[in-house]
Amino acid sequence: MNNRTHRVFSLRRLTAIIGNTFTGLTRLKIFYVLLLFALLLIGSSVFMAQMTFQQEFQVLKDIALGAMSLFTSLLAIIATARLLPQEMEDRTAYTVLAKPVSRFEYLAGKLFGVLLLLGLSLIAMSALFFLVLTLREQSVLSETARQMSNAPPEQSAEALRLVRASAFNPNLFSGLAVIYAKGCLLAALTLFVSTFATSTIFTTIVMAFVYFIGHVQPIAREYWMQTNSAGWLTKSFLAVVALLFPDLQSFNLTDDVVAGNAVPLALLLQTLAMGLFYTAFYLALAWAAFFRKEL
Amino acid sequence: MSDLPRRSEAKAGLAVALNGVTKIFPIPFQRRSIVAVRDLNLEVAAGQIYGLLGPNGSGKSTTLKIILGLVTPTRGQARIFGRDSDRVASRESVGFLPESPYFYKFLTGEETLRFYGKLCGLHGATLRTRADEMLELVGLTSARTRRLGGYSKGMLQRIGLAQALIQEPALLVLDEPTAGVDPAGAREIRDLILALKARGITVLLSSHLLGQVQEICDRVGILANGVLVREGPLGELLGIEKQTQFVIENASPQLLEEIENLATRSGARVIERGPPRSSLEQLFLEATEKSDKNADE
Repeated sequence: MNNRTHRVFSLRRLTAIIGNTFTGLTRLKIFYVLLLFALLLIGSSVFMAQMTFQQEFQVLKDIALGAMSLFTSLLAIIATARLLPQEMEDRTAYTVLAKPVSRFEYLAGKLFGVLLLLGLSLIAMSALFFLVLTLREQSVLSETARQMSNAPPEQSAEALRLVRASAFNPNLFSGLAVIYAKGCLLAALTLFVSTFATSTIFTTIVMAFVYFIGHVQPIAREYWMQTNSAGWLTKSFLAVVALLFPDLQSFNLTDDVVAGNAVPLALLLQTLAMGLFYTAFYLALAWAAFFRKEL
Repeated sequence: MSDLPRRSEAKAGLAVALNGVTKIFPIPFQRRSIVAVRDLNLEVAAGQIYGLLGPNGSGKSTTLKIILGLVTPTRGQARIFGRDSDRVASRESVGFLPESPYFYKFLTGEETLRFYGKLCGLHGATLRTRADEMLELVGLTSARTRRLGGYSKGMLQRIGLAQALIQEPALLVLDEPTAGVDPAGAREIRDLILALKARGITVLLSSHLLGQVQEICDRVGILANGVLVREGPLGELLGIEKQTQFVIENASPQLLEEIENLATRSGARVIERGPPRSSLEQLFLEATEKSDKNADE
């Protein structure tokens, strides 16, 4: 008979749930449809009309980062929204929670399974994006070298350096990190909503509203602060609104990245820390809502 | 509340103890509420097969969920081997098969057992060996690499039993274990439950199929509207006072006449006489087994 002592938290149990969630999500057709759509969008940017190479690289980065951001956000919401309602309906949640698994391990496993999927999808999309960018860069470099063959070496080297600088800059990695942080936040928030939602559709609709409000709330907040006295009541109210509806606009650093502007390290770290804080905060809220939920 | 088992219950050899358990479900946006279970006191001794009976909505599933910590009682306490059932640690020694389970369709039979085994802390060679043993026990070794999406209802029920047993629990909780399974499959599950009892595993099951419960349970409790209306050892509950039954083979008509006369002379009364009936289930199994044999030939 079984005489094992119970550990309150077990990494082995957590990784088992993460692996199972990840495997389940990769069997969803919607995942492949969305991924294919994003990859096609990124890949097709290689055939775009010829402009100046600066414009071409800028449009390529704009399309690719936009597609990655949209796909990651959509996948974070759609994949997470179905997890809990589906498990309740299929009663698979009963079989897992009737084992020595805490509700926190169960929820965290589900969330990290989604985050693993988001991470790997983003890596796949980034790989294609960098491949497309490299191909275009090589093509522009050889074209530039051909055109500058009769120019003085210093002038030719400067032209090639300009091409390389327009194509790649380390800020691209900052942009990708911020896209992932936003995806993590949205997945955690969707998980929280799904702990009290009655269906996948309800969760998705609520998240569509949250997504919209999250993008307009900084403007509304600014307007509110200008037209109302900033007393403690107003500040508290705005703090609650900011907690429930995260400022998603602050995750849009991609414009700077595309334009080639340097993203200050402090701003990058602050944005990533905000993503991490919100992800942990919503996971804690989800656990609080799920802890005593009657199954 | 403590994670430590309560000594008195552990000493008394109680696998399950419910004390004054009441569960009330409030109806959202209404003043009414539903009392699913009312002041339930129930004890299941270790090593027994206990049958929880009752019509739909009588509170059987809620009672099982309270025992498993999936639902919190409004009042009262539920304990498994002396541990509070709302503690995760109490589930180290419990295996559960829900009614009509789906499981993860994208996993194979073997992957399913490995997943549930990992949740119970098994790993490496121990997990592999245990998964092999369980597949063998429930007769699914040949279907181990098939996805659960392609399993029949009976096979799903059997893989469900295997996952419930993966960590070698001391208590097995089964919610309608033979629901939707054909009589031959139901017989296999019943035989398996008896085999588990022989290995010292306590079984608590809920069922509508009274005939099957009667065949295997040591003790039963009958729930109606959330109240335990009858409870006790099966023999005591079903025995009719002051009546005795003989089943005699190869008796001549004269012998039967003599027995009846003897009974009448001694002041007793013969209430019923006739050939004993086989059950419909027995008839079904004999007929289908014969048909299978003919098909094989």
